[in-house]
Amino acid sequence: MEKNRNALKVAVVAVLTAVVVVFTMIVRIPTAKGYINLCDVAICFIAFTFGPWSAFIAAGLGTALADLFSGYAQWAPISFVVHGLEGLLVALIVRQKDSVTIPFVTKILAGIVCMATVSLGYFALSAIFISGVSVAAAEIPWNLLQSGVGVVLGLALAAAVKRAYPPVRSLAW
Amino acid sequence: MTTNTFVAGDGFLYRMDPRAKIMAMLLVCVFLFLGITLEGLYATVVLLILVGSVNTGIQHTGRTFKSILPMLIFMVLFMPFNVRGGESLISIGSFTLITREGALQAARLGGRFIGITYACTLLFATTPMTDVMLGLRWYRLPYKASLVVTLAFTYIPFIADSFIQITESHRLREGGDLEKKRSVFKRLKDLLPTLTSALVVALRSIPYLAMSLEQRGFGRKEKRTSYHSLDSYRHTFTDFLISFTIPIVLWLIFKA
Repeated sequence: MEKNRNALKVAVVAVLTAVVVVFTMIVRIPTAKGYINLCDVAICFIAFTFGPWSAFIAAGLGTALADLFSGYAQWAPISFVVHGLEGLLVALIVRQKDSVTIPFVTKILAGIVCMATVSLGYFALSAIFISGVSVAAAEIPWNLLQSGVGVVLGLALAAAVKRAYPPVRSLAW
Repeated sequence: MTTNTFVAGDGFLYRMDPRAKIMAMLLVCVFLFLGITLEGLYATVVLLILVGSVNTGIQHTGRTFKSILPMLIFMVLFMPFNVRGGESLISIGSFTLITREGALQAARLGGRFIGITYACTLLFATTPMTDVMLGLRWYRLPYKASLVVTLAFTYIPFIADSFIQITESHRLREGGDLEKKRSVFKRLKDLLPTLTSALVVALRSIPYLAMSLEQRGFGRKEKRTSYHSLDSYRHTFTDFLISFTIPIVLWLIFKA
């Protein structure tokens, strides 16, 4: 039985990692100053639906792979840490023992933690390892916007997928 | 959607053992953070660019540089203004605009950024992803982790294709409405049904993948499948020696 569960865990994490890569690389909404990618939407969806460990591994690995494929390999370790942590923290906050609806306050808290983790995480790590303080600080508003959109859409997507495909609840671990 | 970073070629980096290349990349990145002279930093960066151009071609080197150029310009333009202390280089009246320390710090950060970018890009441009994975397995990356990454590689094109097909069908159903100019928020809202459908398609494949993993013997002691080795690379010892020696020699020459 444990063996079966292990195979399911590997399958869940592998497919969710691929989902994060696709959401990061393909789904891009053009804006006046560039584009918003939807990696945070995928991460929040996974965190709200699948639990902390799936969210941590899929979010970290997925965004790191997307950086690698896009030619920004130097950002891959930073993305792994920041987005992995984002998925883990959001999932831990919204974790429910039974299937009751997540309280509104918890959702707000998860949103704030998600935005803070992404913006401060990228700021701190890229200031130390890559670009220096001024460039890293200029990225903060952009990261706040992207992660904010991620939380809102991720929540809506989690509810929509649970309605459209109820067996998704049995895949969480 | 391209998930391949490999650039075909036959330079010496292509023949080098991937395990040695992974180590060389890590050592070069560490070296760039050590206390070295600015001349040493830029000499290393020039060396990396030369090695890259010889192996992957000038076009690829140019493309890599182009991809980091906006950030580099931003870094060089704004960094010097942040450091206020030290000898004044440019000043307007009594107000110091740029100090010598600020300019030097911007130069160091810019050089390091280019160096890290080229070190990472060269590894993935000259090594097929399967060999990178085998190299990481040799460095004791757990079997499950390697399996997750290789399975994700398989599923990325499948999910990307599903997403594109679903987007196209939604576009056809909505007719000309999608062509109209809409706000970013409206566009995001309209994307929700497409994302939901694409996710459901992806999630439906999970039970089948789990089942096929079990049937392939996942979790058994004697696995029916395993990763092949990197024995085809002939000069492993020499490659490791080169990977280890070059960063150390560079550090001994250029340490501050």
